[in-house]
Amino acid sequence: MNTNSNTYTIIYTTFVVVVVAAVLALVSQVLKPRQEANEKAGTISQILTAAQFEFDASSNEAILDFYKANIGEAAIVNAQGETVKTLDSQNAEIVTTAGLKVQNYKFADGSYEIPVYKFNNGTSVVPVYGAGLWGPVWGYIAVAGDLRTIVGAYFDHAGETPGLGGKIKDDPAFRAQFVGKTIDYTAETPFQISKGGSAAANGVDAITGATMTTKGVDAAVNAWLSAYRNALVPAAEEIVDSTAAPVSETIE
Amino acid sequence: MDAKIKETILNPIFKGNPISVLVLGICSALAVTVELKGACVMALSVIAVTALSSLVVSLIRKTIPNRVRIIVQLVVVAMMVILVDQFLKGFAYEVDKQLSVYIGLIITNCIVMGRIEAFALGNKPWPSFLDGLANGAGYGLILIVVAFFRELFGSGTLFGFQVLPAGYVGNGLVILPPMALILLGCVVWVQRSIQKDLQEK
Repeated sequence: MNTNSNTYTIIYTTFVVVVVAAVLALVSQVLKPRQEANEKAGTISQILTAAQFEFDASSNEAILDFYKANIGEAAIVNAQGETVKTLDSQNAEIVTTAGLKVQNYKFADGSYEIPVYKFNNGTSVVPVYGAGLWGPVWGYIAVAGDLRTIVGAYFDHAGETPGLGGKIKDDPAFRAQFVGKTIDYTAETPFQISKGGSAAANGVDAITGATMTTKGVDAAVNAWLSAYRNALVPAAEEIVDSTAAPVSETIE
Repeated sequence: MDAKIKETILNPIFKGNPISVLVLGICSALAVTVELKGACVMALSVIAVTALSSLVVSLIRKTIPNRVRIIVQLVVVAMMVILVDQFLKGFAYEVDKQLSVYIGLIITNCIVMGRIEAFALGNKPWPSFLDGLANGAGYGLILIVVAFFRELFGSGTLFGFQVLPAGYVGNGLVILPPMALILLGCVVWVQRSIQKDLQEK
């Protein structure tokens, strides 16, 4: 057969493309439920890791069971700090990373609705999401009962350079820096990730050789923590008042 | 094993190594050799994709119209890469999280296309599969050698574990891509001094 004729070429390429598209669509449809279950369990495991829980991560079920046993209240809050929706904790309803993406652009007009996860041991976890150098970066910041002291953080990324920007996820030393730092809600930048930033009570050091990625993480952390200001600060104030500790900062 | 199959497997590992002799796949070799772990993961994914793509292209080699063969090959490679990614997402989520950064890079890896053009189009499926496997392995070998030196001197660690004394200050130049090129140059140098027939007069 003449495989070089125009007709053959056009029919052949059409056929190949249709077959490949069909295979990909089929595989994508068949695997979708599994992938979504994995993504959900992955997100929950990141939240639990940020909150410094020790848990069995061997299977999706084990992760979900641990989450259900320890979650106190998961809710969606708005810019004024009001709860607009309570998530169904017993079915481990959460907002996955894909869900965070959309809300990122709504901060300026104050019409955003973002999730907070409160655990029974007093730890609250809030997500952050932003742009790294090559793609999205996101993470989870866990704060203690006073809603200021960070107990842990976890970051992940879609495509940062392995060994440089990828260290936000892979380098335990970077994450460990966050433990024990405090968020200063009154400052314009509640938290800083910068060169030599670890000197401040509300800052950590950036990663050498990954300036753009850490700038992205810094912007994401600050945008989101500022967005949570109303949801977290009044509660923080109450707690400080109830223990009769001196309040040295004025809260806007 | 007959001599031709043996040659197909052994040649790409050293004598006809895709990176140091054919000078293919340099771009990704510079990008993912900062850490040993990343290099190993990349090596495994490239082995899987080159082997499977070579197999598929070899199976349909007689039907491909010559004028559009590159595009057809590209479609096959892209499909393989997406399939590998989809299956990992469904069945090995943790591994996929490690791999996801590299998967996109594989499509643009010259070795995959290079071997399909040079070998799979003119050979039977089984030798083509082995050729893809061996070329992926030869690529991985160089990646691991370069990553070993870059991680050791750049961060003082191997596979993330501290190897050099705790006081060692990481060498920033080694972490950046230019050093990968220099190290790659050294690898080519070593190979050429062993294999005299590669030296130009």
